[in-house]
Amino acid sequence: MASTAGVGMAPGAEAPGARRRASLHPLARMVARRVVTSAGILLLASIVIFFGLHLLPGDPTFARLGVSVGADPAQLAALRAELGLDRSLVVQYLDWLGGALRFDLGASYFSQQPTWELISGRLEPTLELAGLSLVLALLIAVPVAMFSALRPGAAADRAFTLGASAGIALPPFWVGIMLISLVAVRWGLLPSRGFTSFADDPVDNLRHMILPVATMSIAVAAPIVRFLRASLIEALATDYARAARGKGLSDGEIVRRYALRNATVPTLNVVGTIVGSMLGGVVVVEYAFGIPGIGSLGVDAITMRDYAVAQGVVLTAAVAFVLVTLIVDLLSLVIDPRLRAGGLR
Amino acid sequence: MSATAGVGIEVADLPLRRRRGHIVRTVLRSPAGAIAVGTLALLVLASLLAPLIAPYGFDEIRVGRPFEAISGAHLAGTDEVGRDLFSRLLYGGRLSLGIAAAATALAMVLGVIWAGIGAMRGGIADDVAMRGADTLMAIPVMLFAMLLVGAVGRSIVGMIAVLGVLHAPFVARVVRAAVLGELHREYCTAARGFGASRTRVFVAEVLPNITPVLGVQAAVTAASVILTEASLGFVGLGVRPPQASWGTLVHDGYTHLYQSFAYVAIPGLLIFVTIWALNVLSDQVEVALRARGASDE
Repeated sequence: MASTAGVGMAPGAEAPGARRRASLHPLARMVARRVVTSAGILLLASIVIFFGLHLLPGDPTFARLGVSVGADPAQLAALRAELGLDRSLVVQYLDWLGGALRFDLGASYFSQQPTWELISGRLEPTLELAGLSLVLALLIAVPVAMFSALRPGAAADRAFTLGASAGIALPPFWVGIMLISLVAVRWGLLPSRGFTSFADDPVDNLRHMILPVATMSIAVAAPIVRFLRASLIEALATDYARAARGKGLSDGEIVRRYALRNATVPTLNVVGTIVGSMLGGVVVVEYAFGIPGIGSLGVDAITMRDYAVAQGVVLTAAVAFVLVTLIVDLLSLVIDPRLRAGGLR
Repeated sequence: MSATAGVGIEVADLPLRRRRGHIVRTVLRSPAGAIAVGTLALLVLASLLAPLIAPYGFDEIRVGRPFEAISGAHLAGTDEVGRDLFSRLLYGGRLSLGIAAAATALAMVLGVIWAGIGAMRGGIADDVAMRGADTLMAIPVMLFAMLLVGAVGRSIVGMIAVLGVLHAPFVARVVRAAVLGELHREYCTAARGFGASRTRVFVAEVLPNITPVLGVQAAVTAASVILTEASLGFVGLGVRPPQASWGTLVHDGYTHLYQSFAYVAIPGLLIFVTIWALNVLSDQVEVALRARGASDE
């Protein structure tokens, strides 16, 4: 995905340093090109986020002043000047971007706290939720996909395939609510909402994390199962699989030794794209379980029209997504020598 | 497998219109495809006929006691002010499916134009179009949709516009690939040779030939739009009360989780079933397409 993105971005972006870079190691050049592309995409994304929000009707100062709006234009103007909203949009954007590069995303319109402080204070629950869900999802998805791919058409395979197809369609917020109402409300086994820091109380932290992580991992595991199963079945029909069978390997060994390794890079790319939808899932799951993470911060800020915080959260999410895509790209280069060789030609 | 490929060889020779008919028939004949189409038809019909079917108005309060359980009188129980939930679900389907249909249509139109300009012009136009798509796709849809819907103030038209525009680059990516796949074929070269303009080749030759791809993409987009709209509703950024979509009903039900299970369970179930049916449908079209595509080589 991002490798095609590099094609168009690279010539313009690299033109000034092209001669110097020619002496670089080809792999370093490929890495540099991907980093430059990602940075370019992020720059454009920041423009889209800022102008997308500010060109829409709706004035954040109204919300801040409450009902007494319109009555006093002077007060309104004073507040606009105080928040820097009276300057031209381009100046405001450049100011915002310059700050963002130094982790300064402005102050909340309401609490006056620095946006970055608010965001970084909420990172822990979100990262824990996303990280644990991804790990759990992979721990479930990889064995299930292997099991299924080795017996295509069997009852177990059909059950798993059906389960994966249902899992892809399940809205995460609904799964979360169903788990809350059964496990937490009806049976009283686990807390229904809230969060405790792992540093404060590891056991309580995990008790609070079980249901949200279970919810998220369904949404993450289901598409991985589906994709990995299909690629393993495809791999078992290739010539190298036939050759391996000819020298006496079982299908299970072929999957473990060859097919799984060949499927790693494509699956990694699928995981990369899933992370994008995971960020949306994180929002609803945090909201459903009352977890004070980035997602709930975003919902609160948007509901209060606290644009400084809201656009900071969206920008942070975009940065996270682009970073994950970049990491997936670079990991693919490390894992698969064919990708590196492709760049040499 | 070989049987379907055999069918494909004959199908590839058929005129365009009959080939398309063949895909529709293949999908409807597969059990999964038939169930998916039937489910979607039922949901759409129930929503369209809501005023005829619904025993009460969507905002008619105190037609029963608050939080009545499921019964013959109230097929889905009642909510916190004694409104009939079955009626609210029917009208909610109108909003959920209506917004989804409109936003999907918008995304498809924008995406096709977007991809068309890029793919047909090539060069810088294509680079700019695809770089733009990459940029929009780098911003997580749900978060950006929250921000924009919050800014435009949760109006129905605003939601359609935001959801449509944010899904357009995903459509553009897929359509562009399909268009580039067609452009090198003889019929496109022939059309250009006869002096047809780029626009004419695109509209009159390429688009009719990629309708199955467009159909798959429309179903995929609709599923994503429904999930995003429901998620927005769930976090309190959906349509304004007293109107309710399935997503905002889940939100309301969630705040009364201790009083009623059906309140939150049923609208979520409907969202799930709709998305599942759309996914199964797009899968089945792809299966039918692959059977056809295998013969093209």
